Amino acid sequence: MPWQRETFKKIKQIPREEHVLPGTSLCAGCGGLEALRLAAKVLGDDVVYVNAAGCFTMLAAYPFTPFKGSWLYTTMGSAPAGAQGVRDALDVLIAKGRLPQRDDLKVVVLGGDGSTYDMALSSTSGAIYRGLDFYYFCYDNEAYGNTGVQLSAATPYGARTTTSPCSLQHPAGTIQEKKDIFEIWRAHKPPYIATVAPRYPLDLAEKFARAATFTGPKLFLALSACPTGWLYDPGETPEVAKLAVETGLWPLKEAINGAVTHTYLPKRKPVEEYLKLQGRFRHLFEPTKQEEAIRHIQERVDAYWQRVTV
Amino acid sequence: MRSIRFHGRGGQGAKTASRIVGTAAFLEGLTAQDSPLYGAERRGAPVSASTRIGREPIRERGLILQPDLIIIADESLIDDSSARVLDGLSERTAVFVNTALGSEQARDRFRIPGRVTALDLTDMTLRQFGKPVALSAPLGAVACRLLGLKAESLRAAVAGELADLGLPEAVIERNLALAASCYESVPLVPVEETAGAMPAPVPLWTPVYEPPTVGSARISASANSPLHETGGWRTFRPVLVPDKCNGCWLCFVYCPDGVISMTKDDLPLIDYDHCKGCQICVQECPTKALVAEREQEGAGTWRAK
Ligand SMILES: Cc1ncc(C[n+]2csc(CCOP(=O)(O)OP(=O)(O)O)c2C)c(N)n1
Ligand code: SF4
Ligand code: SF4
Ligand code: SF4
Repeated sequence: MPWQRETFKKIKQIPREEHVLPGTSLCAGCGGLEALRLAAKVLGDDVVYVNAAGCFTMLAAYPFTPFKGSWLYTTMGSAPAGAQGVRDALDVLIAKGRLPQRDDLKVVVLGGDGSTYDMALSSTSGAIYRGLDFYYFCYDNEAYGNTGVQLSAATPYGARTTTSPCSLQHPAGTIQEKKDIFEIWRAHKPPYIATVAPRYPLDLAEKFARAATFTGPKLFLALSACPTGWLYDPGETPEVAKLAVETGLWPLKEAINGAVTHTYLPKRKPVEEYLKLQGRFRHLFEPTKQEEAIRHIQERVDAYWQRVTV
Repeated sequence: MRSIRFHGRGGQGAKTASRIVGTAAFLEGLTAQDSPLYGAERRGAPVSASTRIGREPIRERGLILQPDLIIIADESLIDDSSARVLDGLSERTAVFVNTALGSEQARDRFRIPGRVTALDLTDMTLRQFGKPVALSAPLGAVACRLLGLKAESLRAAVAGELADLGLPEAVIERNLALAASCYESVPLVPVEETAGAMPAPVPLWTPVYEPPTVGSARISASANSPLHETGGWRTFRPVLVPDKCNGCWLCFVYCPDGVISMTKDDLPLIDYDHCKGCQICVQECPTKALVAEREQEGAGTWRAK
């Protein structure tokens, strides 16, 4: 039976109330902010956000905060460890009766892909291993965005970053393949992991609603189309996010106790339609078309879907 | 030596414009120095760049406190106290404003003493490219012209700097054409040399260290970010044509900054104090009930509170 949404079926079920208020200094058209804002509509206000350094540093730039709840800032490598401390403090206070149960809070890590895929991987592994009850929200803009768009382990093959430019030796730009962080998490056997994209708000909201029923580590990988780093007009953010999903490059899926379900089956447009929109892939089309590199990207996508749909 | 300070918003191209001027001056055998300044903020937030050019080696460093020429890429910056656009201005400072107003009108409207010149670079860029893109070439062209740098130097500098950014050939060509016409059409005002003397040294400031309970940054207010207005980030404003709207909620759902709310009758209400003008709502509206209008003088224009 195909995957079904149970809580969020119509767009007008998206809660009206805002939990990430305006006035932040993130770029106009930031896809990461779009995803967080939608997620927060389901998470609510009773949350402690534990934020690793990155673009989201600018969410609560002193003295302003867009949150009604708390925000703790950590180094890039240690947000899951910070989350452990917050969770433990809450648990101890509740156990001692110094905090009533109704004042308990959700603990949510906010991390860019640089921390999620690279720097914080060991502290994340430790947190999952210890069964920490938290949400990990990774806004994946596929680069170290905050410091000027450098290569991260989430940068896809063929994208140009400031540290993996298109050059004589590497005409396609990035030659590494994006790390499969979904599978790395899955190998740790947490109760819930999901990928989301802000252009699919009902899918996103449904997954946050489902995750709430699980205790333990919960991962959300949010495709965060980034006009500044991916080099397209800010107004195109939803279109870019949509094409990432429709071309099959960004599968929407979840894994409950390790069992993977694809929550949306795209008809799979050619990857070119997605690549062409973005300046970070422009060198694949101009001045000469790099057929080989584009074919390579297409083949990887085809192979993925073949593997998961048999 | 002459010192030029550029002010723009992240993404508008002030930093590259400053490089263009430095490079053009260098190509004419002058010494040049350029340094952009932007905080941790993002596309749309105020940024500045300092350029110094001269015949002698340039020994001064850092932000230009008393510029000979100020180039303002966005008139909304003048009202934004955090941008400090008119700092160090005196009667002898030349000021260029990118605005639809004429030079005289701009001078009165923005209450700038000194020599004001204006040109609608945004409009010229829109006509060349059909969409709002970075203003590096036009801003660089205007500065080069006011400084008396040659058209050929400007051309070479624009071509070189834009190629370094990885722009395709065809786009560079159109930027060159645009730069040439801005160079031709900017009304001239005199830009004087800095009067020789170095600015007086500023005494070092010794901070007073407070205990952590007082001295560390703690946000004890909650949800106060709306005090920080981002309405000035816009070049284009989404405007609702109410009878076209079918109340589908899509603009409300997709606005990254959450500045659209739906009324009881399912009509979108836009908070213009915070709308950054990303155009996502305009692009996603299925009935074209939201249209982009250039941010100009009039009701609805953002003014810092
Ligand atoms: C150990 C360490 N190295 C480098 C930095 C500098 N730094 C701050 S934010 C950032 C980029 C973070 O990238 P990512 O996690 O992908 O988040 P994004 O900036 O894309 O939001 C870097 C490198 C740091 N804070 N800590
Ligand atoms: S650089 Fe990208 S991810 Fe970072 S704030 Fe800007 S749009 Fe968002
Ligand atoms: S342009 Fe539209 S989507 Fe963008 S910030 Fe303004 S209201 Fe929101
Ligand atoms: S997207 Fe367009 S039609 Fe839908 S509610 Fe917004 S303005 Fe109205």
